[in-house]
Amino acid sequence: MSKLTFERPIIQRVNAGLPSKYGIPRRLEPISHIDGSSIRSLLEEFGSPLFVLSEQTIRKTYREAYRAFSSRYPNVQFSWSYKTNYLNAVCNIFHQEGAWAEVVSGFEYHKALENGVPGELIIFNGPDKSIEDLKLAISNNSLIHIDHFDELYDIIHLSREMNERPKVAIRVNMDVGIYPIWDRFGFNYENGEAWDAINRVMASKTLDLIGLHTHIGTYILSTEAYRIAAGKLASLAVKLEKKYGLALKYIDMGGGFASKNTLRGAYYPGTDTAPSFDDFAEAITSGLMSSEIKPDHLPMLVLETGRALIDEAGYLAGTVLATKRLSDGRRATIIDAGVNLLFTSFWYDHDIRPVEIVSDQTEDTTLYGPLCMNIDVVRGNLMFPLLKKGDHYVIRRVGAYNNTQWLQFITFRPNVVMLDMKGKPHLIRRRESLETINSQEEIPDHLKNFNL
Amino acid sequence: MLKIKNNIAISDSGFVFDARTGDSFTLNTTGLEIVQLIKEGKDYQGVLQVFLDKYEVDPESFERYYLDFVATLKHMNLIEGNGED
Repeated sequence: MSKLTFERPIIQRVNAGLPSKYGIPRRLEPISHIDGSSIRSLLEEFGSPLFVLSEQTIRKTYREAYRAFSSRYPNVQFSWSYKTNYLNAVCNIFHQEGAWAEVVSGFEYHKALENGVPGELIIFNGPDKSIEDLKLAISNNSLIHIDHFDELYDIIHLSREMNERPKVAIRVNMDVGIYPIWDRFGFNYENGEAWDAINRVMASKTLDLIGLHTHIGTYILSTEAYRIAAGKLASLAVKLEKKYGLALKYIDMGGGFASKNTLRGAYYPGTDTAPSFDDFAEAITSGLMSSEIKPDHLPMLVLETGRALIDEAGYLAGTVLATKRLSDGRRATIIDAGVNLLFTSFWYDHDIRPVEIVSDQTEDTTLYGPLCMNIDVVRGNLMFPLLKKGDHYVIRRVGAYNNTQWLQFITFRPNVVMLDMKGKPHLIRRRESLETINSQEEIPDHLKNFNL
Repeated sequence: MLKIKNNIAISDSGFVFDARTGDSFTLNTTGLEIVQLIKEGKDYQGVLQVFLDKYEVDPESFERYYLDFVATLKHMNLIEGNGED
């Protein structure tokens, strides 16, 4: 007779009280496979922890977003936000789907060029563009989104020096009812600075103003904010046409759409509160269509959404290192991925699941990462199944920002694999090694040796 | 020898009631089994043998989880004082 599976023995205090009418089922369904590929086998083959990205989910999400906008507006263009995830394999899926590149630094700009994106289809955002970056962007006919007056004057100087007509857009910040107002990027709408900047560009006679851009914030749950933003940009476009007879080529609504992750402290899960692409699309396109812009001059609608396009496609799988009790009797579970890999755990209550089948038993647990640092808390408290050392877990919706903001801190960054449309894994970023780190270092001669 | 306090009632389904404090607790299957074996008067070796026969577990892992579990019972005041095994 085969033996039974052993589960850690536990005892839990029953806290009698009024049951919440919003009670969420406590049972966490295990996730054993991603796109038909066994997580346990992936961990055996590629090591633990492991980032897993799903090509199927990326393409499906992109097509859903594109359909939401293109079914409501005649001319829609997505531009992949490199900073959200600039692993080349990820970028290239979006480029294959038709997205341009949206970059915010010289490094990202070169990355897009090396991926084969034509210069004229790269949107160059951000407050930090060096003179060298600007020169390259101008000679490539890239779309330069101007962030501040110092940059505007640099571009005017360069246009004369290079005898070129840079293609520019003005970045506009505004009050859309979201607080705090993101007013550090671009020129303000309400105080008239954005209109001043537009006039300055037009007066230069050496720049081609082809667009207006805004990015109202990040993880925005209110679609109304986008309707207001679209209306304000449209009013600038109308003023521009009235004064200069210039019809803009595009209006870029930026990104910031919420993903289905749950913000820390949120009462309802993100799966219930995040608006759909259709909701965002309805708000933005109706804001533009109902504006005073002449129907035959409707500009192209550019979208730079990053988080909502990639978050769902990313998983972080790994192994339980240990379980222990804290001084107050609560359980602590230590897993092999911490805030070094999962930067987003600072603001999300990530959805963490067991990989293997578990019983209905759960206990109040704090999930710690492996770092020797007190801040390394992946989940402050959650009702979690009784995982043991060596059991596996998988964290959902980690595709956005983690592969760009992860830290080389205390340990190496692990392998990243992508599951293709058939669920077959491909290594797309190799695990770092001591050589990777040491290859960047130099030791002065007098510090090369020591006697202990 | 470990001894569960006299004022503790334990049901067959793993529900635990402390008549002295009014606190109640729940045990999972393995937890209930250990508590019942302790009540029967089995020492650690006796409990271990039952588990090795019945479950897919090695002695080292079992010891680790057993000691942790017993410490929790103590923390919850369910075990007689000085009940060292």
